[in-house]
Amino acid sequence: MEIKIALAGNPNCGKTTLFNLLTGSNQFVGNWPGVTVEKKEGRLKSDKNVIITDLPGIYSLSPYTPEEVVARNYLIDERPDAILNIIDGTNLERNLYLTTQLAELGIPMICAVNMIDVVRKNGDTINTEQLSKRLGCAVCEISALKGTGIKETADLAVKTAQSGEKMIPQHSFCGCVEHALAHIEEAFLHDLPAEQQRWYAVKIFERDGKVLEKLNIPEDTLSHIENDIADCEKEMDDDAESIITNERYIYIAELIKECFKKKKKGGLTISDKIDRIITNRFLALPIFAVVMIIVYYISWTSVGTLLTDWTNDGLFGDGWHLFGNGSAQYEQAQDNFAAENIFTDEVKATVEQAVDADVIGAAEILDAIDGGAFADFDEAYGSYGEELAACGYDISGIVDPAVETMNDTIDPADYGVWVPGIPVLVETGLDNINCVEWLKRLIVDGIIGGVGAVLGFVPQMLVLFIFLAFLEACGYMARVAFVMDRIFRRFGLSGKSFIPMLIGSGCGVPGVMASRTIENERDRRMTIMTTTFIPCGAKMPIIALIAAALFHGAWWLAPSAYFIGVAAIIVSGIMLKKTKMFAGDPAPFVMELPAYHLPTFGNVMRSMWERGSSFIKKAGTIILLSSIFIWAGSSFGWTDGVFGFSTEMELANSILGKIGSAICWIFAPLGFGEPTAAVATIMGLVAKEEVVGVFGVLDFVAMTSLAGYSFLVFNLLCAPCFAAIGAIRREMNSAKWTWFAIGYQCCFAYAVSLMIYQFGLLFTGNVNVLGLIFALAVFAFIVYMLARPYRENVKLSKKKTLKV
Amino acid sequence: MMPMTLANVGDELMIRKIGGNSDTKRFLESLGFVVGGTVTIVSELSGNVIVNVKGSRVAVSKDMAKRVMV
Repeated sequence: MEIKIALAGNPNCGKTTLFNLLTGSNQFVGNWPGVTVEKKEGRLKSDKNVIITDLPGIYSLSPYTPEEVVARNYLIDERPDAILNIIDGTNLERNLYLTTQLAELGIPMICAVNMIDVVRKNGDTINTEQLSKRLGCAVCEISALKGTGIKETADLAVKTAQSGEKMIPQHSFCGCVEHALAHIEEAFLHDLPAEQQRWYAVKIFERDGKVLEKLNIPEDTLSHIENDIADCEKEMDDDAESIITNERYIYIAELIKECFKKKKKGGLTISDKIDRIITNRFLALPIFAVVMIIVYYISWTSVGTLLTDWTNDGLFGDGWHLFGNGSAQYEQAQDNFAAENIFTDEVKATVEQAVDADVIGAAEILDAIDGGAFADFDEAYGSYGEELAACGYDISGIVDPAVETMNDTIDPADYGVWVPGIPVLVETGLDNINCVEWLKRLIVDGIIGGVGAVLGFVPQMLVLFIFLAFLEACGYMARVAFVMDRIFRRFGLSGKSFIPMLIGSGCGVPGVMASRTIENERDRRMTIMTTTFIPCGAKMPIIALIAAALFHGAWWLAPSAYFIGVAAIIVSGIMLKKTKMFAGDPAPFVMELPAYHLPTFGNVMRSMWERGSSFIKKAGTIILLSSIFIWAGSSFGWTDGVFGFSTEMELANSILGKIGSAICWIFAPLGFGEPTAAVATIMGLVAKEEVVGVFGVLDFVAMTSLAGYSFLVFNLLCAPCFAAIGAIRREMNSAKWTWFAIGYQCCFAYAVSLMIYQFGLLFTGNVNVLGLIFALAVFAFIVYMLARPYRENVKLSKKKTLKV
Repeated sequence: MMPMTLANVGDELMIRKIGGNSDTKRFLESLGFVVGGTVTIVSELSGNVIVNVKGSRVAVSKDMAKRVMV
């Protein structure tokens, strides 16, 4: 026979850690209330007939947050065979409050006092024997973190479940309350099983809306009961709910006095002292800024870049030297060759002339030549070589053949230990089995190239995730949410929305996933919708490209992109909050701040892997498919009027190019109604850095800087890449909401770009009357949406009460 | 009697009344905010407070904290 045991307890008391120990599964644990939002099931390691259910943490059986509703409904409706009530020993009083309520359910129960190691370390003592006697159920001591007492607890829980001994609550309320409860039981509940009567009686006394609705008490009985409750309230001079709460705390205070001895009274704990500094009025934001700068510096600039370069150029490129063995010699050989054959006086003179003529990028190339490193030169030449040639300073005549000779003569495999990259290996393999050319290109360029480009971000993301997991597990993230709440509340988001956005500045996929910690559904949906407005790492190349090509490398372009992203979030937040869908009071911010502690290594790694692996899975599915699609679209096309396949297909002749020409009119009012820009935008859906791939620097010649900026803004704000859309779909858990989110993002991007372009035209004196009228209309609409009075939607709240 | 938001950091205060609608009130009570119990203000940030109540730290935003009278 199967036995069901439910783990119940306060948030952050160690349920999930215990669950992992009992079932051997790998659920992620955070030092942050609300990690378990849905209940999770697993089978006991030592006895597969026992099903363990991990319930979300709850403070009481009067549900407040969605996870409390999940837990309460499970306990009342499913009635597990036993409850394993986990009590945080360091916070006995508050945890016992839930215990008194669980005891009334009449389900066999045992209590496990967790974190007993910390209690002992503090020098406190808990008399579990006395506690057991007073509570009327078995109590054992465990430390889920250290893994002590787990087996005994599991055995005891199974035994209790098998015995089916119903829990009988030992606490009683004061005379008049008991009198009223007896009346309620007698008047209406006598048909229910005896052990369940108590809980329902208390809930009816508290006038719990959901219970009253469920029981459907006849009118006359209800008024009779109501009289009893009112009498009691009058006698106690308090409302029914508070009477019960106070009675419970009085009983708990008695228990504590008997069973718990604190070594030292009062005084601030270490966590309190840390909180005084970290959440200090003046220091909170500076400390936060410093922490984030360190995290981002390490994950995006130093360590992260190192790893990403290796993945892109090594693993998914030509190959790499094992442990850097031989790299230096190889580079030296390249530099020597370049100094003789590439950095000739002729090349140098041409580039110098270009510098004098102020050609974009010429200075970078000259710097690289003076520096003498071929790798730097190669990068600068790759970016700006064509620009130079277009302005009449062509150096490709010397450089290109020389580079070719160099690649033929200097082989990296001759230096140190050379490991070839995946594309090289696969290509050689395919050559050996005489694979057809188009299939080979599909596999190497389409699949490996496309998926590899996305996977290239994985190492950087993993480094970031390690930091975030650490900050989350040690307890700092909970404080960040608190500090940011006062700022975010002003435009309708909660402090907990900040973390997704922060992560989103690295990559939108984990950013969207991080929104899961927001308990209010409206806040969560809004956060998911707006998180991708923040420019992610992949959008950086687009900004850099536009800045170099159209704004002479203006420094302000990147900050302005962030500013637009933040402004888009604020404007969207205010607008959406006033729509019917998001109406309602923002949930008040109340959150327990866990004590600071050093997280375990395994937990940090598990959290990192959980986030990282879902991104990798995405790369294996949706990105794989779209890579094939994009590859096919750009390799098949019409050459001289004949449809066919060619690896050298001109973009304008390819299927993708034709699609671009067909839809580019849509973007005409935004100033970039040309096929290349349209194709680039479509490519941006696969991965934002693809946008750069479509454009060479030269393609911008026909574009004004205003149109370029409009193009940039549209690409920053419109629908994110497929990977992020996939994440949105998963977190929204609804196709309708996903489409709404993407639709909103695209419309919003279109509106902003339209305004930028048309108002820009106005100021430069080239008014387009029709466009301006539309832009003004959009502007007026947004201003109206921002300024219209906030109306509480009565209908919605009515429906809500009915549903519960 | 004054709202908790006005108290000074470090003060140990007795809760005298909890207002607000019954959902909010019930949630505060389950977290340990009960009339007659004590709270210690750990930190205050423009009305939002972190308090120590029954041995745990709880962050409460201004709109909820002002309903707790001490």
